[in-house]
Amino acid sequence: MFNWLTVLETLGYILIFPGFLFCFLVGLFLSGVDRKIVAKMQKRVGPPLLQPFYDFFKLCGKETIVPAAANKGMFLAAPLVGLASLIVLQMFIPIFNFTAFSTMADVIVILYLLLIPALAMILGGAASGSPYAGVGLSREMVTVIACELPLVLVLLAVARTVGSAMGKGLVFSMSEIVNYQSANGSLITHVSMIPAAIAFLLIIPGETGSHPFDTAEAETEICEGLLAEYSGGPLAVFKLSHSVKVLTLSSLFVALFLGGLGGKIAALVGSFGLSAAAAGMIGGLLGAIVLVMLCLVITIVFISLVHAITARLKVEQVFKYYWTVVTGLALLSLVLAWYGF
Amino acid sequence: MFKKLIKESTEKSPWLFHINAGSCNGCDIELVSVLTPRFDAERLGFKLVGSPRHADIVVVTGPVTKQSLPRVLRAISQVPEPRCIVTMGSCPQSGNVFKESWSVCGPLSKYVHVDVDVAGCAPRPQAVIDGLALATQILKEKRGQK
Repeated sequence: MFNWLTVLETLGYILIFPGFLFCFLVGLFLSGVDRKIVAKMQKRVGPPLLQPFYDFFKLCGKETIVPAAANKGMFLAAPLVGLASLIVLQMFIPIFNFTAFSTMADVIVILYLLLIPALAMILGGAASGSPYAGVGLSREMVTVIACELPLVLVLLAVARTVGSAMGKGLVFSMSEIVNYQSANGSLITHVSMIPAAIAFLLIIPGETGSHPFDTAEAETEICEGLLAEYSGGPLAVFKLSHSVKVLTLSSLFVALFLGGLGGKIAALVGSFGLSAAAAGMIGGLLGAIVLVMLCLVITIVFISLVHAITARLKVEQVFKYYWTVVTGLALLSLVLAWYGF
Repeated sequence: MFKKLIKESTEKSPWLFHINAGSCNGCDIELVSVLTPRFDAERLGFKLVGSPRHADIVVVTGPVTKQSLPRVLRAISQVPEPRCIVTMGSCPQSGNVFKESWSVCGPLSKYVHVDVDVAGCAPRPQAVIDGLALATQILKEKRGQK
């Protein structure tokens, strides 16, 4: 039966929370905080907190130039595809006890969707026909491959830990992972999960292309590489998806390793003795606030601090770092999880 | 509302693109010093970008030599509207000590509309920031006319 209320609810999920509006506001806010904190660490005053919002709206008002050598359709569609896949991805990540969409194997969907923004950037850059984009896209591909292996291993380790605790083998459902944590405490308290958590935190700057892993967008050597030919609206969308990616990855970390806080929030809200609907509402709101706070901490420590204290690596160094140090940590965690620590 | 938001934002987020038109490198260094922690132009939203397609303000240094003139004009034409052109130092404004040399085609205002001139050899960072702030005002006006 066709139900209007369900349609309205889904539209609300897509457009407002946890979809577009939430991603837009929190993502840009996070990158504003990032820029401010980096400035403070360099003893500067720094741009205002709302600077990414100003940048976004200014770029929306600029002329959009499509280069003569470009493939127009792909050039203009690529940024939208990237942003859309990030927003869909955000809806698959549970915010503590609240999940917009939940399926049997969201972890695998997340893995695929996480790849699309990078692929969209590669396609857009390739379509622009600029030699700078050519250099940038080869570097972006190497970075994606470098990050992908440890990410898969981390997700496998998590799936195995939750699966063996529930007696199911591997669990690939995000909502089951989060529910398990809210009943039995966060995964980060398991010995076997600590290396995986560290590996995931080290993947965040690589996946988001921030310092020192920003070889693909090295603005001082290859003019932001893939984005060199973009201007106006499409550039604004690319900048927005950069910011949203930070939010997505840090909320994925929170869902995978700190999901136990959901149980504490539910217990806290339950102690007020409200009706079920009101408790759900307040619990969800509180969960979102806690999530934003945690994302803020992750952004400050693993993006701003790392940005301020490191210089850009060469692309082969990025690859080597991810396939030795980070993959080693993830593998250690997987082995420990397999033997049930 | 959206239009007003864009207009206000145009003033607050001007991105710079720097073109060296045969400069002696003095002005180039002074421009970079504007972005250092001491003067920190980023607090006004200024950011140095590498591609002319991302820029709002084009900063030209140097006396515009024969070799550089076609490249300068081509780079400026790639900057999306609304844009603002700022000359930095005395060279692009008047030719400075290179005036009437066979290899110098300046001043720049013969070829494109220049919005702000920042004079000096090299101008002090304070003067540069002042000129750039003026350029953001002009940028906002240009945005408003649309």
